[in-house]
Amino acid sequence: MKIRLNKIILLFLCVVLGFFIATQTKIVQGDYSFVSLRTIIDLQNLIKKEEEELSNISELIMSSKNRLLEYETAISEGGSIKDVLAKEHEQFKMTSGFVDLEGPGVIIWLSDSNRELYEWEDPNNVIVHDLDVLILVNDLKTAGAEAISINGQRIMGTSEIQCAGATITINNHTYGQPYIIRAIGDPDTLGAAVKSPESYASLLKDVYGLGLDVEIYENVKVPKFGSDINWKYLTPKEGE
Amino acid sequence: MIFAILGLLAGIFLGLKLNITYPAKYALYISVAILASLDSVFGAARSILEDKFNTEIFVSGFFTNAILAGFLAYIGDRLGVPLYYAAIFAFGGRLFQNFASIRRHLLERFRSRMATKQDG
Repeated sequence: MKIRLNKIILLFLCVVLGFFIATQTKIVQGDYSFVSLRTIIDLQNLIKKEEEELSNISELIMSSKNRLLEYETAISEGGSIKDVLAKEHEQFKMTSGFVDLEGPGVIIWLSDSNRELYEWEDPNNVIVHDLDVLILVNDLKTAGAEAISINGQRIMGTSEIQCAGATITINNHTYGQPYIIRAIGDPDTLGAAVKSPESYASLLKDVYGLGLDVEIYENVKVPKFGSDINWKYLTPKEGE
Repeated sequence: MIFAILGLLAGIFLGLKLNITYPAKYALYISVAILASLDSVFGAARSILEDKFNTEIFVSGFFTNAILAGFLAYIGDRLGVPLYYAAIFAFGGRLFQNFASIRRHLLERFRSRMATKQDG
């Protein structure tokens, strides 16, 4: 009887063992190798990165959905997608400077001085330099100018104002004096920026004696950027 | 012996037939536990041949070895050290030892039987 009980126990445990072996062979498909902690951390980082990208993409989806909603409301209000796109296109062109603009603002005429030089005076004192123009443009931007042009050259993000002997090169076009700076913005603040006694413009006018006239106009016309911009190095960042 | 082999076959049959699964991440622990249990079964077979079989020793060894091996593998995984190698080497080595002595016992039996046949 004792032996029989033993055999039954043995049988039972062997059944259990065989069962586990069979289950294991079913579950372990392919190779199951030991994974070190570093690999786990690497994989975790990878997963984290992927998740970040995923959230970025979902943000993109959200913004795209919002835009879609805009289009849909435009359609339901009777317009078409074309109108919305055209409007958007116009706006982009306006902000990027590919459209002629007009609005209230100031026009500044800047020319070399007509006065006689003092004895031994540096003749550089009486001519307009690139830096003068640059600082004036910066002052106008500080005063909230929305669009600026110099001698018909629209000032863009890429525009240079460079000394070229007695002339100044702007947007690869070289101009001699006088320089006509047109700026659209709040006429009062723009005027103050170049008229107030503390300003760089009044320093040019009163101390160096350069020809500087400022007029405030109801309607200043600023031309569009004439040439094309060809990006060589820029690419839009992916996933933004 | 015959009971053990029968049991193993029945168990494998059951395992293949029944659709019971567990998460794949426990597969390593289970495999080490299986190795330990297999060692216990081989040990039992050997002790039966040696007429030293003890149910309590077999049953306790079967479970504690399996649990200890699985636990060792788990701890090793936590610590980043492949501790389950210890179980594999220990139980694998003993498995072969058990198998060797089983073989020897069976051969001896066979030989003695042949001898008695020749005598008789």
